[in-house]
Amino acid sequence: MTTTARAGRAAAEPLRPEPATIVEVIEETPNIKSLRVVFDDGELMKSFSFAPGQVGQLGILGVGEATFAISSAPSEKDFLQFSVMKTGVVTTAIHELAAGDKVTLRAPLGNSFPVEEWRGKNVLVVGGGIGMAPLRSLFMHLMDHREDYGDLQLIYGARTPADVCFSSDCSLWSEKRDVDFITTIDAEHPEWGGRVGLVPSVLEEENPSPENNVAVTCGPPVMLKFVFESLEKLGFREDQVYTTLERRMKCGIGLCGRCNVGPRYVCVDGPVFSLAELRRLPDEL
Amino acid sequence: MKFIAREDIPRWLERLAQAAAVWTPRRAPDGGETVLFLPWEQGSEPELDRFTDLSAKHLLLPASEKLFPFQYRLGGEGEQIEIGAAPATPESVVLFGARACDARATVVLDALFMQSPEKGYLAPYYRRRRQALAVITLACTRADAACFCSSWEEGTASREGSDVMLFPHEDGYLAEAVTGRGEELIGGEPFSERDAGPPDTAVTDQVPLAGLQEKFTAVFSRLDFWEEVTARCISCGYCTYACPTCHCFNIFDEMRDDRCGERCRSWDACMFYLYTLETSGHNPRPTIAHRYRNRIGHKFSYYPENQGTFLCTGCGRCIRGCPVSLDIRDVLRKVGDAR
Repeated sequence: MTTTARAGRAAAEPLRPEPATIVEVIEETPNIKSLRVVFDDGELMKSFSFAPGQVGQLGILGVGEATFAISSAPSEKDFLQFSVMKTGVVTTAIHELAAGDKVTLRAPLGNSFPVEEWRGKNVLVVGGGIGMAPLRSLFMHLMDHREDYGDLQLIYGARTPADVCFSSDCSLWSEKRDVDFITTIDAEHPEWGGRVGLVPSVLEEENPSPENNVAVTCGPPVMLKFVFESLEKLGFREDQVYTTLERRMKCGIGLCGRCNVGPRYVCVDGPVFSLAELRRLPDEL
Repeated sequence: MKFIAREDIPRWLERLAQAAAVWTPRRAPDGGETVLFLPWEQGSEPELDRFTDLSAKHLLLPASEKLFPFQYRLGGEGEQIEIGAAPATPESVVLFGARACDARATVVLDALFMQSPEKGYLAPYYRRRRQALAVITLACTRADAACFCSSWEEGTASREGSDVMLFPHEDGYLAEAVTGRGEELIGGEPFSERDAGPPDTAVTDQVPLAGLQEKFTAVFSRLDFWEEVTARCISCGYCTYACPTCHCFNIFDEMRDDRCGERCRSWDACMFYLYTLETSGHNPRPTIAHRYRNRIGHKFSYYPENQGTFLCTGCGRCIRGCPVSLDIRDVLRKVGDAR
């Protein structure tokens, strides 16, 4: 956990957000935009730090807040990035914003991927759709500390070529020789020369060894179900598999009650859980 | 022991009101039978023989409150947002005529809201109100059919969460200070000394609570069990609003015009479909059975696991007010008996 000016202020008034400004909007896909945001308080921006997997409450005063994974890497110090799919009231309002517009932010919240525990291991990252947002932060962090980890493999699936998020990052990653990066789309498409197939099938074709490996996955619930099955088929144990959960949230600080899975609160005990932890919780996802 | 005559209660309340906002059980202003904790006013008669229909939790967690005002302002550097200060909360509050179940509820809520900030749960709003609150509790000498606080040790005479205990005695009340603040509250006039033995208090219905945590876990995945016990529940949420320990809340914005407004917080209810509905359309607790199961789980399994105490004090309000007579004691006994 990081100590920042925000942490001090949050202890005094945790539901009070910080004013922030959008500096860039990137249209990722027809319904996903990445927003790059800076705190208006320069000192706060300078001292801000977070760990991959942590989330923030991005909000518009008068509309409301919603929880999003931070999709920028901890090393990207000039801004925080949130990648937002347009689905409900808050995300629709966010999609109407442009550079220069004001937002509010409460961040960082929640736990993070245990990247320190993973030092010396191979890491397999498996993402689908907007589920790539927290994994972008994680994957960039792993590449920033490349020498601390073994083989790095990223399998990223989107429905169609137009749904591929972070395309400029993808072209960079595919040129890197020290990581194995695979993008796949669900079905053949005239504009696509790359890999085709659903994420779990591609994962099984790749046949990664569970030996000294951890797998991290995030994506739509149906994909997760089959990715978990594939990983277990490949010999991964429950404690080698991690995911990050989403739930409807309001407070983000473990008090308002709605994001619990049994006794655990996704906002403070998560959003990152190992499959072993998830299986010990009541089945209420 | 200290003693106060019944006829001297108004004088005491007057004295208390000089230094604090005082709340007492009072008949609701609509002239009906409802008794609520309401602000004491000069000349108002506290209802000390009736149990309040709703709890006093609003003194710690207001039914709705403004968190902060905000406004958009056009300045030299373009549009700016200003976030104002949180409204002040009362510096001193006395809850007079609480029952042991109301007083214990503050201790149950403290387990979550007064945790050390290092644990990540930050609740300065609650903390300010809690530190301002003193509780004067009236021990119950009779219980009704819905009461079940004797499921816990001490029951109707529990001193947990109280600063002063009052025990009905002859033509008045014996008063016992539980805390230092309580000593101050019963110091001086209009109290006298009176010799009296240990006061008798009521014993209520008792629900076996031992092992409930494990038994809940065992019966969790039997959705048919939960469907059966909630067959008549209409998911109205009354139980959550009446409960002295239910504390879930919603956060929302209210605009006064197109440039300024307020961020607000209000009570919410886990019995509502919208409470957990996600924007994708997915709802992890889609039916009444799922939601009631979570309500029982939170009170008798999750909260004890996390905070070391049941999220219930046996006040029985959820039973008295339920429009379909769903009795939480029946459900707990069924959980306990489930095979």
